[in-house]
Amino acid sequence: MTPGVPKPVLEVRDLHKSFGGIGAVNGVSFEVHEGEILGIIGPNGSGKSTLFNCILGQLRPTAGQVTVDGQSVTGMRPCDLNRLGVSRTFQLLQVFPQLSVRENLLLAGQEHKGTMLSRLFGPRDAGLGGASDRMIEFFRLGPVADQKAGGLSYGQQKLLDAAMAFMGGPRLVLLDEPAGGVNLTMLANLRDRLKAINRERKSTFVVIEHNMEFVMALCTRILVLAEGRVIAMGDPETVRRDPDVIEAYLGH
Amino acid sequence: MTGLRRLLAIVLSLGAVAVLIAAPFDLKPYGVYILSLWAVTAIAVIGLNLMIGYAGQVSLAQGAFVGIGAYTTALLTTHGVPWIGALVASGGLSFAIGWLLGYPALRVQHHYLAFVTLAFNTLVGLIFRNEDWLTGGIGGISGIPRPSLLGWSTNPPRSFYLFCFAVLLLVALATWWLIRSPWGRAFVALRENPVRALSLGVDTRRYTLLAFALGSGLGGVAGALYAPLVQFIDPTPFGLGFSLNLLLMVIVGGSGFFLGPFVGTLVAVLLPEWLRFAQGYYLIIYAALVIILLAFCPTGLMGLFGRLTTALRPVPARPAAATLTETVP
Repeated sequence: MTPGVPKPVLEVRDLHKSFGGIGAVNGVSFEVHEGEILGIIGPNGSGKSTLFNCILGQLRPTAGQVTVDGQSVTGMRPCDLNRLGVSRTFQLLQVFPQLSVRENLLLAGQEHKGTMLSRLFGPRDAGLGGASDRMIEFFRLGPVADQKAGGLSYGQQKLLDAAMAFMGGPRLVLLDEPAGGVNLTMLANLRDRLKAINRERKSTFVVIEHNMEFVMALCTRILVLAEGRVIAMGDPETVRRDPDVIEAYLGH
Repeated sequence: MTGLRRLLAIVLSLGAVAVLIAAPFDLKPYGVYILSLWAVTAIAVIGLNLMIGYAGQVSLAQGAFVGIGAYTTALLTTHGVPWIGALVASGGLSFAIGWLLGYPALRVQHHYLAFVTLAFNTLVGLIFRNEDWLTGGIGGISGIPRPSLLGWSTNPPRSFYLFCFAVLLLVALATWWLIRSPWGRAFVALRENPVRALSLGVDTRRYTLLAFALGSGLGGVAGALYAPLVQFIDPTPFGLGFSLNLLLMVIVGGSGFFLGPFVGTLVAVLLPEWLRFAQGYYLIIYAALVIILLAFCPTGLMGLFGRLTTALRPVPARPAAATLTETVP
């Protein structure tokens, strides 16, 4: 690597994943640099979520390399990877319904600080009282902060889900369909919050999304997957006009 | 919780503790024995509730851990080791074996895990029964002494009850601290959504093993009190039936409620005594009551209590969350 050129935050090299001989991800390579928001789009079954799961250690890739800040993290357990500063949300809502909004946020941050002993004998909020208050305010969850997460509306749970991914102060966040099932008002709210975090904290995002308008407005660069391969990559305008992309989406 | 409710809870708890301290002075020795049995069993049920109610890990082996604790204490105290040393050994051994039993839980869950732990319970029962050189086989171990603490003998039934109750209080306070700490939060996360917990940095493997070890360790502590309570042990009381009974106490009391084990154990220990008038029918009545309770209130007696207090409380005015509009998924 030549000096002066910043190392990518995330680098994926020739990643493969097959299930019983059927390839879901077939040699995907890309880099994401600090502060970037990379969108990943592609038809259903094109391997987007499998790619995420391989990067994040939920699945072990059949072949290929994943590095974060130059360190190989291929096959690392999700909890260890998370504590290195890589966070995620899932395609389906994943909050803890029996915990309050505040408790959900405390949980999302508590393993990033202190030791097992300090988590047993130390303060109940693990020293994250202020951080959770700021996150509640930032994602505008104040009115429901002490309600059980299971009782929130779908859109509010989506916001909480995203807020949890940011509690540990991650360098890199992978969001799997953050806009899915969210109404227009809430969508604008979510996009606005994500952009603000990206600007203020210089955190780097990779976003899987079907909602093209949302992707075009949020992302700085877009990668298009089809049948487990990268068929196009570039800024939103270029990708929108790419004939391969149009064909993959509209098909025959 | 508002200040008034918290005050009420503290006053009620202190009242309950006072009643339970005063209770033996008004009871015949058999009654004191039953109350002691309640205190001892409640400790094992608190451990099981920690595993099932909080961390979501099913175990049908809690009876075996009470047995491991009881045999350890019986063997050590009949060979001259002071009770406090036997307690540490019983709790420690159960903790360690519980940790090992947690490994299958990293691979299987729910009813599969139940069967793994069931097999373990059977295995331990066979060891109690067949390893005569260690456990005395079906002849058991007799002459288990009750401890003396700083010159205070716990030999009389009332003293021993107070001793058991004091240990129960310590266990309850420690558990209260635990479930309100970040560990307790991680346990609940393990129960509700282990995949998401893992992605948030929660080392689910470590917490699963810890839940097993801590819950089983409390089984061992209960055993360390059970041996000097009955002063004679053999393999019979630690069979699968006992483990199922302990599970029933967790469920009847209310799985995942702090007070559940106290209530569930009270019902399971006292109800058979109260139903003695029914003679041979008492098991039928007991079983029918359990079926009715669980059919109408699967969250147990504490859940029922919660529903009643919610129904009686005036409905508070909800603040309008105007900016956060509802969505249609």
